Amino acid sequence: MSYLHIGKNFTPPDIHGKVTGKARYAEDFRVEGMVYARLYTSPMPHARVISMDLTEALAIDGVIGVLTADDVPEVKAPGSPVLTNEPVYVGDPILAIAAIDEQTAENAIAKVRVTLEPLPFSVSPTHTLRPGGPAARLEGNVYSGEMRTLEWKQDDVDRFLSGREPTGPAASEWQFGDLEAGFDNASVVIEESFVTSGYAHTCMEPRSVMSYWQNGKCHVYGSTQSQSFVVPFLARMLGIEPQNLVYVSEYCGGGFGSKIAAYPVLALPGHLSKKIGRPVMLRITREEEYYIGSARVGFQGWIKAGFKPDGKLSAVDLYIVQDLGSRQAGGDASSAGGAVSILYQPEALRLRDVPVLTNTTPRGPQRGPGQNQIAAVFEPMLDKAARELGIDRLEIRRINAPDSSAKLNADQGPVTSAYMVEALDKGADLWNWAQKKGHSRRRNGSKVTGVGIGQAYHDAGVNGYDGLVRITPDGIIHLHSGVGNLGTYSYAATTRAAAEVLKADWAHCVVEHGTTEAHLPWSSYQAGSNTIFTHTRANHVAALDLLDKMKAIAAQVHGGSADDYDIADERVFNAKGNSMSYAEVAQKAIELGGVYSGEVVAENLNGITKLAIAGLKGSGLIGAAKDELPKRGTAPGLAVAFAEIEIDLETGKLEVLDYLAVAECGTVVHPQGLAGQLRGGAVWGFGMASLEHHVYDPQNGLPANVGFYQTKPPTYLDVPSNMDWAATDIADPDNPVGARGIGEPAMGCATAAVMCAISDALDGHLFNRTPVTPDMILNHVAGLPQSFSALGINEF
Amino acid sequence: MTSYDVMPATELYQPVNIEDATALAARLGRKGWLLGGGQDTYGWLKDRAKRPDAFIDLTGIDVLKGIRSLPDGGVEIGSMTTITEVAQNPLINEKFTLLSAAAKTVASPQIRNMGTLGGNLCQDTRCWYYRRGLNCYRAGGNICYADSPEGMNREHALFGASRCVAVTPSDTAPALVALEATMLITSASGSRQVAAEDFFVGPATDILNMTALQADEILVSVRIPRKWADATFYHEKVADRNVWDFALVSLCAAFKEDAGQITDARLVAGGVDCVPHRLREVEQAIIGQPRNETTGEAVKVRATSAATTLNYNQFKVPLMQNLVLRALRG
Amino acid sequence: MDLVRVRDDVWGREVLAGVSWDLLWLVLTAAFAIIIAHLLLMAVLNRKARPSAAGKKLARHAGVDRAFHWITAIATIVLLVTGVFPIIGINFPWLTPHWIAGLVLTVAVGLHVVRSLFFQDPLAMWIAPSDLKELAGGDVKTAKYSLAQKGMHLGMAVVVLVVIVTGLVLFLAIDTPWWNRTNSIDEATLGWLFLLHGASTLGLVGLTALHIYFGLRPEKLFYTRSMIKGWISEHEHAAHHDAARWSPEETR
Ligand SMILES: Cc1cc2nc3c(=O)[nH]c(=O)nc-3n(C[C@H](O)[C@H](O)[C@H](O)COP(=O)(O)OP(=O)(O)OC[C@H]3O[C@@H](n4cnc5c(N)ncnc54)[C@H](O)[C@@H]3O)c2cc1C
Ligand code: SF4
Repeated sequence: MSYLHIGKNFTPPDIHGKVTGKARYAEDFRVEGMVYARLYTSPMPHARVISMDLTEALAIDGVIGVLTADDVPEVKAPGSPVLTNEPVYVGDPILAIAAIDEQTAENAIAKVRVTLEPLPFSVSPTHTLRPGGPAARLEGNVYSGEMRTLEWKQDDVDRFLSGREPTGPAASEWQFGDLEAGFDNASVVIEESFVTSGYAHTCMEPRSVMSYWQNGKCHVYGSTQSQSFVVPFLARMLGIEPQNLVYVSEYCGGGFGSKIAAYPVLALPGHLSKKIGRPVMLRITREEEYYIGSARVGFQGWIKAGFKPDGKLSAVDLYIVQDLGSRQAGGDASSAGGAVSILYQPEALRLRDVPVLTNTTPRGPQRGPGQNQIAAVFEPMLDKAARELGIDRLEIRRINAPDSSAKLNADQGPVTSAYMVEALDKGADLWNWAQKKGHSRRRNGSKVTGVGIGQAYHDAGVNGYDGLVRITPDGIIHLHSGVGNLGTYSYAATTRAAAEVLKADWAHCVVEHGTTEAHLPWSSYQAGSNTIFTHTRANHVAALDLLDKMKAIAAQVHGGSADDYDIADERVFNAKGNSMSYAEVAQKAIELGGVYSGEVVAENLNGITKLAIAGLKGSGLIGAAKDELPKRGTAPGLAVAFAEIEIDLETGKLEVLDYLAVAECGTVVHPQGLAGQLRGGAVWGFGMASLEHHVYDPQNGLPANVGFYQTKPPTYLDVPSNMDWAATDIADPDNPVGARGIGEPAMGCATAAVMCAISDALDGHLFNRTPVTPDMILNHVAGLPQSFSALGINEF
Repeated sequence: MTSYDVMPATELYQPVNIEDATALAARLGRKGWLLGGGQDTYGWLKDRAKRPDAFIDLTGIDVLKGIRSLPDGGVEIGSMTTITEVAQNPLINEKFTLLSAAAKTVASPQIRNMGTLGGNLCQDTRCWYYRRGLNCYRAGGNICYADSPEGMNREHALFGASRCVAVTPSDTAPALVALEATMLITSASGSRQVAAEDFFVGPATDILNMTALQADEILVSVRIPRKWADATFYHEKVADRNVWDFALVSLCAAFKEDAGQITDARLVAGGVDCVPHRLREVEQAIIGQPRNETTGEAVKVRATSAATTLNYNQFKVPLMQNLVLRALRG
Repeated sequence: MDLVRVRDDVWGREVLAGVSWDLLWLVLTAAFAIIIAHLLLMAVLNRKARPSAAGKKLARHAGVDRAFHWITAIATIVLLVTGVFPIIGINFPWLTPHWIAGLVLTVAVGLHVVRSLFFQDPLAMWIAPSDLKELAGGDVKTAKYSLAQKGMHLGMAVVVLVVIVTGLVLFLAIDTPWWNRTNSIDEATLGWLFLLHGASTLGLVGLTALHIYFGLRPEKLFYTRSMIKGWISEHEHAAHHDAARWSPEETR
């Protein structure tokens, strides 16, 4: 199918601001009378506030006021309140002080005297599961829908840590197929225990926020991945109606899952501002960002996988102890099970998991939460099975790959479409797998080469959100995007589905976004790689609504029925030669009012969209619709990567030499955007595979890495200068432009490919642990035991 | 443990000649803080983990800057010369590539542009406990958090520990010890010269300071004698990342060879001891041997014969041995 | 001037860290003030002729006790030098000699305690009510030890025992050839240990200064000689001691 906009590069409107530095992020805003707040955060990993002495702090000249946990809504464990009297990790915010400048605020913070009573704490999930082990929260140590206390027998703990099949009770479990029969039919059974470390999201822009109140409205300048999706939640946190919230997040310097919706500190300046009657800026420092900025859930786990003689995966038994940190996190373990269920189409799968709270930084979804952890450990196991079965590593993936008849998850539901074999073949062809696999274990002095293939998945598309398109009498097409600007340009790319329907010249289109004042429709969360799928649909239906209205108006003006009209060159015309420009139609819409100009709105639209339309009514022709297009299953985002690495056996250093990622995400909507996702995802993937992990001192609960140089995200010298990409580019039937999402698997496939390449280089050795750092390689090569404890997590 | 981010108001002196600087240093003593490029300093200050009363900014003093050749054929480098200049200087790149190679691996380009050689040599350790502002031994307290039963000490020392197990973070220091440099030090009460090897001080001697500098002393320059000019050098730094990362282990080696045999050698490791760590046993063992793989294999274990490992740093043992092997392999 | 040092522990709570080393100067100043005052006083008062060292030699200290004294003295001096010099800015690798000297002192003191309690007359050093009349001044003849000597011994005993006990516990907190340090001592307790160790060190500094001064005083020098050679002369005995309370045997 040939498109005007879809599949073409374009310049997203925020690019200029970003490259010239004119872009204004939350902390760039200044308003009259603004004061600065700083946080007092917990020095203890778990404690109770006994008393506070703020006399000295508040006596400092220039100090305006203070906000404590008593001033903000309480939140039930294990949710995150704005401020707390029961800090549950080092760095948990206890109070905030506002002053005329940051220095004064910090001087005051330095004078705060808080008496804390230390409470039992732990930085290791298995430590809390021991008999009598410390619970991370007063309400218990495990969260699976509700807080509870779960204790294993010492024997269960020891067994689990020694890598044998876990016997400790799980907190939740799901299964499909006949596991026993699956293992009976298997000729090769791989059984491994593993650890994937948690680590910070490391957003470039810390979550700074500025807020003030004006005419009963709270204005919040924040940094979130989503835009409209944030509004109802933030309004609730501030105790106001959505129409009284002005929310501005035009730019977001990275979120990666940590800024999906309204996170606690987003509401802090609003509360403080209300209390002191001044605009409040809360700049979050890098170190604070590492505390409150969320992190990936860590896994300690065990897998047993059975393969039939032909390489088909017959059964998978998966047991995961999750490190949720100190606060509620998503269902990474279940997602991991889901990923295995779709990527390899096993006949039977059981997932058992224990989501454990620890007194470490709160966790949340991070790029491929669950899916990417499991990709990192399962894919090298797949290679091991291939080796034992004598099957090529590409082939074993092809044998198990999902196609459009694939089933997934506990309910074995359908997918909208899937073409993983095509993706594997395309990659193998472009990367020349047949030749490059020969590089395996090639020695070059002290260096040895490894090649690997990695696959990853994410449920990448939802439905039911709203689109809003408007044409003003000047002929400008306003594409209202409630999608957040999280750095992927999808806020703009998805609107091109509307421009496509309207056959509009992009130069006449304006993407309205980034602030509730731009009147934005209700939109999905910008997470879960869903936006491209979800909002091309929403834009498409909104544009169709607009199109219908244009035709109806033309019919009213020029006679005939709406069906007699068509569009081209931004004009509505009929066969008789009657035509109207979009500008004229818009003018007419204002005159006609009613549904045309937003005076009357469709009932099925979300309240947020209705609010937006209320703000726009009478300004032109308004097209708005809820996406009720059919969606017959999960829209899978799939990716496969090929990596060649070199390991220096004498230094333990790993270098990625060559990399190719192939996206299996339907039609390519925005090639440059997709390239950015695949390359950026790869950088993330390399970081997860070889560099980034949480380290906590178990004696006092202190985090060891709270700065860029300590958390070690990859730098430009740690990634290959050339990273290739490709896409299957096969349209998905359940999306009007054929697109599915990709952001998260773009990372997981890279992690997995590198993990497989490491194993390949080291004669098939499985570290079963992310990241694989130089010390681990050195210890392995020297035949020394690894330094970390058995299945140890949050340690070096 | 609040994460501060704004420096407290602190006096700033910007002397333009060395006499004023030494007078200020004498007057302020430990309450003053000498300032080079600030790349080590500002972190301490922003975190409020150290609180000097005043800065004495040395970067405005011209005599402390620049690289000149010495009559004996050596070079003198002013302490306020930036690390980028050290890395790029033709004289150094011609005769003492060991130093330029080491300087090129310091931190990141931005930090090298700001940071000075003096600051790099006098910088404090990066032990993460200490950098958090904890009151460990090195901060004048009664405890070491790193060398404890469950301490997270992957980056810490194999040698020279005495209550404190922190390591030198400097990449240029081992190069200067290898090149037998001399430090020129001045104060209001006179000047002195200290061999690079004695300039760096371990915790057994002084647990609070990394160098032999007294509170009122200023490092003026570093003199590298002709002795090792044009010797064969080997430099390698191993860090987790290829830039913007401190060494897990680094090795600076200088060899003199004659008729296929090593006649003199200096091997100095960074990241394994509180001071640049000389591998004397290896140095002695390779005299009279050819510089090749066989010699390397034969002597590499001597690099670590005195090593004491901690919970998480045993990998430094094979790593050091391998670097010695590589240095000898050439 | 502070009496103690306080610090934040790992969780930001204020805990004791030890004595304030400002007190070192106070102790030294006080000790020297006493010495100078005593010097002046003695220059005015004490013009008596000293008894002759000739004549019969009477046994005062057995060989093992003299050895014990000097071993203890050397260990103490080493401990003070290694312990105090780094504090006043004279840096050298002090810790190993410090704990070795500490162990020597511990063993010596241990043996001394056992010997004096079970094999000697423990009451010889005990301050009895009868000793108190020495306080009144005048020429009181004493038993084997004068009240001043007993007082010095008692003071020394207290500070040395405190130094040893706290030193031994602190010894657990460093790495030694026999063990790796524990961290079972919490920081507040550590602070108390360092406080007591430091305070007893200060006591030791003061008492040692006085002890050396008195040992070197001309009229007391014969006691020092007796600590080296083991005897005092019959004239010295007659001049200072009450034969009824202490009549030593003659020795060669
Ligand atoms: C993220 C990061 C990564 C880094 N990575 C590395 C690395 O890989 N390798 C490496 O070697 N270093 C590294 N560093 C350290 C950095 O290179 C040094 O801190 C820098 O070279 C110091 O130079 P400066 O002039 O900025 O020091 P300053 O901060 O100005 O001074 C540092 C110290 O030296 C003292 N000082 C400075 N000049 C004199 C003088 N003339 N006489 C006496 N005392 C003086 C100061 O008082 C201060 O205590 C890193 C630093 C950071 C922040
Ligand atoms: S290693 Fe040294 S700097 Fe680090 S905690 Fe121990 S005493 Fe402090």
